[in-house]
Amino acid sequence: MKLKFTYLIITCLFLLVDNTSMSNTVKDDFKLLTKVNQFTAGDVIVLEFSTSKNSKPKLYISHSYGNTVLKPTLKSDILYFTFPKTISNKAGVINWQLLSSDGTLSGILQIAPLAEVNTMETYLGPPSIAAGGNDFSMLVVMPTDVYDNTLPDSTKVNIKHQFLDNEYNNSVTTEHGISYLNIFSETKSGRMLVSSECMEKNSKEFTINVLPNIPTNFIIDFERHHEYADGNQVTSFSTSIIKDTYGNIVSDGTYVAFYISNQDEAILKTSGTTVNGIASAKMIHPDHEDNWSVKALIEGIAESNSLQLAYKSALSDYDIHFSDDNRTITVGPLRSFMNQMIPDGLEVSLSVFKDEKLIKNLIKPSFEGYATFTLDDNNFPNDTYNFEIEVAGIIKPVTNKKI
Amino acid sequence: MTGINKNILRAALVISYILVIALVVFGISSLFSYLNTGADRSSMLHTEIKKVEQYLPKITWAPLNNEGRAMDAQTLDQIQDDYLDAWYVKQVSYKTNTTVGIDDYYTESARKNIYDNILLNKKETISVESTTLEHHPTLEFFSEDGQLAVITDYDVVEYKRVLEKGKLILETSEQSTYKIILLLEDGFWRIRHLIKKTTKPYKRQNKTIGTHAIDIKGINYYPQKNPWQMFNDDFSKDSISKDFKIIKDAGLNSVRIFVPYEDFGKAAVRPKKLDKLEETLNIAEDNNLKVLVTLFDFYGDYSVLNWSLNQRHAEIIVNKLKDHPALLGWDIKNEPNLDFESRNTTLVTAWLNSMIDLVKSIDEHHPVTIGWSNAESANILQEKVDFVSFHYYEDLDNLEKTYLDLKENIPNKPAIITEFGLSSYRGLWSPFGNSENDQAEYHQEAQTVFAKNNIQFMSWTLYDYNKIPKEVIGRLPWRKQAQGCFGFIDQNGETKPAFKYISGK
Repeated sequence: MKLKFTYLIITCLFLLVDNTSMSNTVKDDFKLLTKVNQFTAGDVIVLEFSTSKNSKPKLYISHSYGNTVLKPTLKSDILYFTFPKTISNKAGVINWQLLSSDGTLSGILQIAPLAEVNTMETYLGPPSIAAGGNDFSMLVVMPTDVYDNTLPDSTKVNIKHQFLDNEYNNSVTTEHGISYLNIFSETKSGRMLVSSECMEKNSKEFTINVLPNIPTNFIIDFERHHEYADGNQVTSFSTSIIKDTYGNIVSDGTYVAFYISNQDEAILKTSGTTVNGIASAKMIHPDHEDNWSVKALIEGIAESNSLQLAYKSALSDYDIHFSDDNRTITVGPLRSFMNQMIPDGLEVSLSVFKDEKLIKNLIKPSFEGYATFTLDDNNFPNDTYNFEIEVAGIIKPVTNKKI
Repeated sequence: MTGINKNILRAALVISYILVIALVVFGISSLFSYLNTGADRSSMLHTEIKKVEQYLPKITWAPLNNEGRAMDAQTLDQIQDDYLDAWYVKQVSYKTNTTVGIDDYYTESARKNIYDNILLNKKETISVESTTLEHHPTLEFFSEDGQLAVITDYDVVEYKRVLEKGKLILETSEQSTYKIILLLEDGFWRIRHLIKKTTKPYKRQNKTIGTHAIDIKGINYYPQKNPWQMFNDDFSKDSISKDFKIIKDAGLNSVRIFVPYEDFGKAAVRPKKLDKLEETLNIAEDNNLKVLVTLFDFYGDYSVLNWSLNQRHAEIIVNKLKDHPALLGWDIKNEPNLDFESRNTTLVTAWLNSMIDLVKSIDEHHPVTIGWSNAESANILQEKVDFVSFHYYEDLDNLEKTYLDLKENIPNKPAIITEFGLSSYRGLWSPFGNSENDQAEYHQEAQTVFAKNNIQFMSWTLYDYNKIPKEVIGRLPWRKQAQGCFGFIDQNGETKPAFKYISGK
């Protein structure tokens, strides 16, 4: 509740003033003379009204993008309202109302687009699709006239495309101002060229990249210089040419992972990417007798056969030599399959036990066929120890050595 | 003596040295910390979302059945947001004849049309205040690459005020159908083509709700502790319950309450406030009272661009209460005619008109009225309301004539006085004001007139108040004091002599 008597009085006065101003307007008799209400974009639109009292009311018009008010020109008792070009050029519905005192004259004009194509606005996407006939790209064609109006529904648009030896021509019609066609891939990969035409106006050329579909299962093979587990040479794996269901070689760079599981069920992994459908990868030989089972995967998509590889031990036996104080242990000579000195770097492991308890595990790479361990008296005080030496999977225990 | 002086001098020197150093360090450190402010990593990227809802017309999508790619909810949301923003920036542009924001929501070739029109309007000093109140879009087409969408927006309800040199020359409501082609550019769904397909004048036909069954003997209600702020933290079920029992026992059957617009959270109505409102109606139901809910209290803007927000506010409240058994009806706005002068009569009237349409479109069963502050204004929109209501604070001698004149003007709709009363303030600011006995006399006389002419009424108000917010009648103490003494029960909780005549029994 607001007790504002002064406001009430002012409001009443205001209302009175408002009413009087409304009743002051002169009555005039207007008649619409323009009989046409269908126009084509670009036409000059002039609405004509007859007037009896020569007053000059304005004309409100509302079109697709906005509203405005036009001033008339009066010539021998006729009011002329000329529509601005920006409004008469746009297709759509325009409603108008003569802003005379009674405001009863109003109407609607229809502006149709021009039946001529000026621009072919085309949208193509996605730009690359998969071969096989299921995937497709969509071409949307929006032909517009010179005033940027979309053409009426059911305008014919030809959508043409070429792939390998074939050329196609599909006829579609516009609806809601656009026309579209889904262009499906074929079984082969390659480039597809697309264009469109409407009322003899041609669009420019577009390209769809048809990529190979997903890879199918493949075969792997291996190559190695010898079958010995020397921990030095490299075994190479390679795939067969990987193809999709339709015989297209998969795209270069397809990632292939090789999983190698050995006797201890440890998994080694190596990988490669395809070039011309072939991926290859390498793995260093084991340093002890082992059996590998190899399988390659394009993860989640395709897999290879399983490959079995056996590695023979390169080393059949070795000697162990203790120095006088038993503090220097020399393992070797380490001889490979032809009795040649094994290449440097073979892992030699020495485990030191005291009363069945592991005290220390020392690891050294071989050098020129030998590995030498020195037990310093800080870590190993004088006592009796047991030793265990392992080279290339061959374990040799030495018990009760006093140092 | 000289020795002591020297030591004092030394101490003073050392202390002043320390002070100077401390001051310098403090200065440098404040400078350093000042330079470091704003370099807060969390605010560096401006990742916080500052979205403000400024345009919320009612939008109802047709079920999705479009050609091309299947539409997902998230993309549709983005399209809707950008599409409505496009309408909003366009309306701001036509109102101000500037082009800010247009380039974000219209493609290069589409925005040209708007720029040209604005140039034209600027030259003729035409401005257009407009809004859309309803959209019914259908998604026609969505391209496979998700970059192009076609929408037909059916029956867009547009309200426009065309002004020439700031003077209103046309007010119009139109219902139009648009075809829209949108392109996704730079992350915005921009309008590429906008084509008006059909248009016709818009006038909603509402069903008049029969009001012959209502018989209002009521009172305006605010709790004594928190008048005009009924739904704030002091909201107490117990005290409302106690008050409603007093009202019922006094022989009354209804109350009129007020929903403040901003306090309720504007377009985003606060659920807690809404619950309190519902609770109030539950208490009324328990006491067998009906409630006339007055919307938009403390709202006085009416500007066309805010209509959609106002309507969402009303929509939420009406939806919540429309099935409540205690609901009597809707009072769209309290004393809107007081805003005629400052906000323009036609604008306020158009706002009320469209708000009645909205409330009636949601609630088809409860009557709608406008609480005019005087009987003269009650003619406005009388064809739209279900019953006419006005407030009467003038001389009681003229009440009968005023009422009968109004009935003559509007014979087929009940006219109800939803506020009347007399302040019993007599004190420093008004030494010759009405006494409590004068107030009692006033109510006795009023009830006699009501009984004679069978007038339905709601009095102002149950309590005397001592805390009156400045928004109600300003800061002036003589007004505040008077405003606080309209009650039937005084500030100490004692009934005043007028209480005897509260219901005419």
